[in-house]
Amino acid sequence: MVPIHHAFGAEPVNDPPVVERASIVDVEADPVPIVLILAATLRRAERDPRLAARMANAKGNVALRSTVDPQAATIRFAHGRVLIERGVAPDTDVTIAVDVNRMSDLDAPKPKISGALLHLRLALTAGKVLDPPSERWQVEARRFWEFAGTHPGVPKGVRVVCTDDDTEFLLGGAPVDYEIFGSAHQLTVLFTGGSVFGQDLLDGKLHAVGSLAHMAELTGRTLAFMMGT
Amino acid sequence: MNPPAVTPETLVPWLDEHHIAWVKTEGVSLDGLVIGKHLGRSKFVKSLPTGNAITDLVLGYDIAGGPFLAWWDTWRADALGDIFQRPDLNTLVIAPDRSNTANVICDFVAADGDPIPSCPRGLLRRVLERLAGHGYQAKAAFEVEAMLFTESVTTARRRHYADLTPLSFPAAIGYLHHNSRQQLEFIDVVVSRLGALGITVEGWHDEAAPGQFEINLEPADPLTACDQVVRVKQVLREVAMDQGHVVTFMAKPAAEYGNGLHVHHSLTRQGEPAFYAPDATLSDASRAWIGGLMATMPAATSLLCPTVNSYRRMVGFAAAPTVASWGEDNKSAALRVLSRSPAAARIEHRLAGGDANPYLVLAAVLAGGIAGIEHEIAPPDPITVTGWGLPTDGWPHLPTSISRSTAALVADGRLRSVLGDDFAQFWINTRRWEWLMFHTTGGDPEATAVTPWELDRYFELV
Repeated sequence: MVPIHHAFGAEPVNDPPVVERASIVDVEADPVPIVLILAATLRRAERDPRLAARMANAKGNVALRSTVDPQAATIRFAHGRVLIERGVAPDTDVTIAVDVNRMSDLDAPKPKISGALLHLRLALTAGKVLDPPSERWQVEARRFWEFAGTHPGVPKGVRVVCTDDDTEFLLGGAPVDYEIFGSAHQLTVLFTGGSVFGQDLLDGKLHAVGSLAHMAELTGRTLAFMMGT
Repeated sequence: MNPPAVTPETLVPWLDEHHIAWVKTEGVSLDGLVIGKHLGRSKFVKSLPTGNAITDLVLGYDIAGGPFLAWWDTWRADALGDIFQRPDLNTLVIAPDRSNTANVICDFVAADGDPIPSCPRGLLRRVLERLAGHGYQAKAAFEVEAMLFTESVTTARRRHYADLTPLSFPAAIGYLHHNSRQQLEFIDVVVSRLGALGITVEGWHDEAAPGQFEINLEPADPLTACDQVVRVKQVLREVAMDQGHVVTFMAKPAAEYGNGLHVHHSLTRQGEPAFYAPDATLSDASRAWIGGLMATMPAATSLLCPTVNSYRRMVGFAAAPTVASWGEDNKSAALRVLSRSPAAARIEHRLAGGDANPYLVLAAVLAGGIAGIEHEIAPPDPITVTGWGLPTDGWPHLPTSISRSTAALVADGRLRSVLGDDFAQFWINTRRWEWLMFHTTGGDPEATAVTPWELDRYFELV
């Protein structure tokens, strides 16, 4: 476990209870990014026992289709397992059409869902597990750092500042050689694998002080975290 | 004809003698882009021996100009910096199309002159040094395939490289003089310019796809052979532009046959041909070499088939290999071994696409052979059957996507060891990036034919 430091007067953050269980989520051979991203999302949903049970009991096929590019994937729930494959399968029960580039935005367009009337329970399950609950941004940041903190090239210490209330949180240890600034929402999105750090900087959703080298390595780690690789 | 070699001592007199006012520096990026500057002669002379500064981004962006911002590397300055183009004066030539300009091929190096691991030409140098350590010298000769279209590059861009008119009869025949006659006006200028660059074309012919032709180059030392490919491709592009045409080296720009970059290579040891075997038995050197090439072929596919589009070429009965295989004079195998004549004993490696970087192709091929020597890898049996249409099970099918070949390279410690882990890791990252760009910037993974995304990204630049 990477030690966490509560510098700069930041309040302590307690670990959420973690229940380790084998994932029931599998992906196709040679998966494409959207398949990996959905798998990482569903594995995050599995941390919640109620969602894990709901996923295990679900039956049917749900497709997620991008409205802005050809990305698409089908999630197959059956026999207590989940398999994710590229494309919209012909035997899809529920189809969710969504702007994949804006799914985490506060003002994201609402997804269009077809097949929900016939498969209401499946559609509700899909809606729940594709948008799993998140902890406070500090807790999610710590989870991210457990994944990323030992990777070569990432900063030794990162000071994260929430611009909503100026709370601060330190990832890693001394020296603090990188700083990230953003709203609680955007920090939560980032640290739950919902966005890519470099893209957030380019889009002005986050700001940072530090080297390009650290920015690149952090971007790579957020990409890997997003895809669970 | 240019003098065979210019040294630092003879450089200034050479520039004087040929009235050179400008020197065009030519470095080659990982994606095979020719990168450099036009330097005034005094600036060029002053820059020696390290060469001119150039942003390290030239090795840090993808083929569409997107910066690699998902990893870093030790040779890069923390907040962008310069690297240097160290000219190889052996490659200094008078530009055939500009009276006061010389061209020179460069290695990318650090400010202290140290090699940069991600420089393709530098990588080939390191692999050649390792080969020499085993007592071998190599020679190589490439076959450059390309397709020529009657439209101008401006028109091609406007049409997003679709619906172009091949400069030939639109059918897959090949070697058809009816076609080569139509291409003659273009090829004549190409051959003339190449001659002025000191590059001899052994032969050329119409090839199987509409608008396609192949240029065969003379065997040369590996570095020179790759330099020649870089210049041949550049001249083909330039002459096409001059004549209002456009040319592509994309592995699969349309449904017909694709563009390959076959490379023949041979080894000598103390002057003796290492691949020569007068009877059906392979020489010891050939056994280990072919064993290494076969064992590392899935991983080498990453370098030989570097783009998303490369894998559309690798279909059965379309000239490109689909299984890791070798055979004596078998053109359906990945390795066509020709061992029976001492003067012509060689291996034709038929996997590389026209979109591959020649330095990386030869580095990967030689590295595979070296791995065979170092690990004493025995080859599987040769194939005597047709290497296409083989069952899915029981045959070593090659990777079918950029992500699969990347995974194969990650898994192949023997090939990575010869290539160097610094280079290999950077390359692996760039291929993951290319995969990510395809899937997240509009590429269609369900498409069964070449997509607009591929044409826009690769047609003009690979």
